[in-house]
Amino acid sequence: MILPLTYLASAEAAPSGDLFAALGIDWTALVINIVAFLILMWFLGKFVYPPLSRSLEKRQDDIEAAAQAATETRERADKVEADVQKLLTRARKDAAEIMATAKSEATELLAKSEQRSREQAKNLVDAAHDDIAKEVENARKTLYNDAVDLVVQATARVTQQTVDAAHDKKLVAKSLEEAR
Amino acid sequence: MMYVAEAAPHISIAAEPLFHIGPFALSNSGLLGILGYIVLIGLLIYAARWAQAPSGSRRPLLAALIAWGYETLYATVQQIIPDRRLARQLAPLPITIFLFIIVQYWMGILPFVGPITWGGVPLFRGLAADLNTTFALAIVTMVAVQIYAIKIHGFFGNIGRYLRNPFTDPAGAFEGILELIAEFSRLVGLSFRLFGNVFAGEVLLVIIAFLTKYAATVALVPFYIFELFIGSIQAYIFFMLTTVFISLGFASHGDGHAAPDPAHLPTDTSAAANEPS
Repeated sequence: MILPLTYLASAEAAPSGDLFAALGIDWTALVINIVAFLILMWFLGKFVYPPLSRSLEKRQDDIEAAAQAATETRERADKVEADVQKLLTRARKDAAEIMATAKSEATELLAKSEQRSREQAKNLVDAAHDDIAKEVENARKTLYNDAVDLVVQATARVTQQTVDAAHDKKLVAKSLEEAR
Repeated sequence: MMYVAEAAPHISIAAEPLFHIGPFALSNSGLLGILGYIVLIGLLIYAARWAQAPSGSRRPLLAALIAWGYETLYATVQQIIPDRRLARQLAPLPITIFLFIIVQYWMGILPFVGPITWGGVPLFRGLAADLNTTFALAIVTMVAVQIYAIKIHGFFGNIGRYLRNPFTDPAGAFEGILELIAEFSRLVGLSFRLFGNVFAGEVLLVIIAFLTKYAATVALVPFYIFELFIGSIQAYIFFMLTTVFISLGFASHGDGHAAPDPAHLPTDTSAAANEPS
């Protein structure tokens, strides 16, 4: 079975001594092949590849644009996050400062209130003391006057005469002063 | 099944002429190649039209698949040559090579390729299984390498990559000769690697069909799948090597040569330059 194949294959090989002819190289066919291929390449390069390349490059550009947009968005997000962090830090600091100020103000206010309350209380007490002193003085005076009246009345009853009310009072008062 | 019919398989290294149009002979590979060109252009125009559709419109699977393939190849070129302007300028060549090879390779393994004959000669043969085609692709690639290298280094700067003064720089002169030999070996390697793989694939299918006879319908399926895979791999290898060879042309060898514009320098492609076999 193999023998006829070998024969057929070898029978093609060397009709002449020309190696190129034995291999089937025909210069005309070679040139036609080159020209045909160059025409094909020119035709495809002119009419077929540009739309395919445009489509490819458009997609590449779209991908690059999307990648760039993603990068920019990421950068913007990072920047916004940094700003947020900065704002948060500042807000925390401000809050701490406000808290500290409020505490100190509250303490100061409390101290002032206490001071004012104490003063008011003292004033009230002082006023009360004054009132009491005045009342005591008034009571003393009233008591004194009542005592003088009583003495005058008692003396009048004892002596059965009244010379002059005003003179009696003056006399009693002088006596009381001397007795004191 | 198409491959079952023949008593003995028809194997020919060279493409066979079917008829002549004036001084030019139309071979069986040329005939299928024309169909391949039509299919390739049709598919790409279809994908390009859908690429122009307003965004949001739902693309058909085939158009989306072609656009995805194009984008993947374009991205690969950009990875090897980071300069966006230079990559855009360069990309059509390797991408066209990839698409051309994959379509022509897959056309070559269609079931009607082989069994339909014209005057005892198969009417169709894969264009990539014709050494003229693979050699033509390799020539285009290597010429492009030189053109881009001249663009970067200048004409004499590029010559200086190969020819150096052996008295002042003997090691560099030897390296230059090796570089020159390498350019030719790349030319031969590119063309014969692809031709060998495609031709071997077609022969494999013919032999399997011949050996399995009426069971070929079932037996050929895994080989077809294998060939589809090999076709895409070979197309990608050719595409990758084309891009890498061009980017290697940008690199300056040794001191005392024209330094390329740093903006045009590719990334380190030394690892990628190790050619797969």
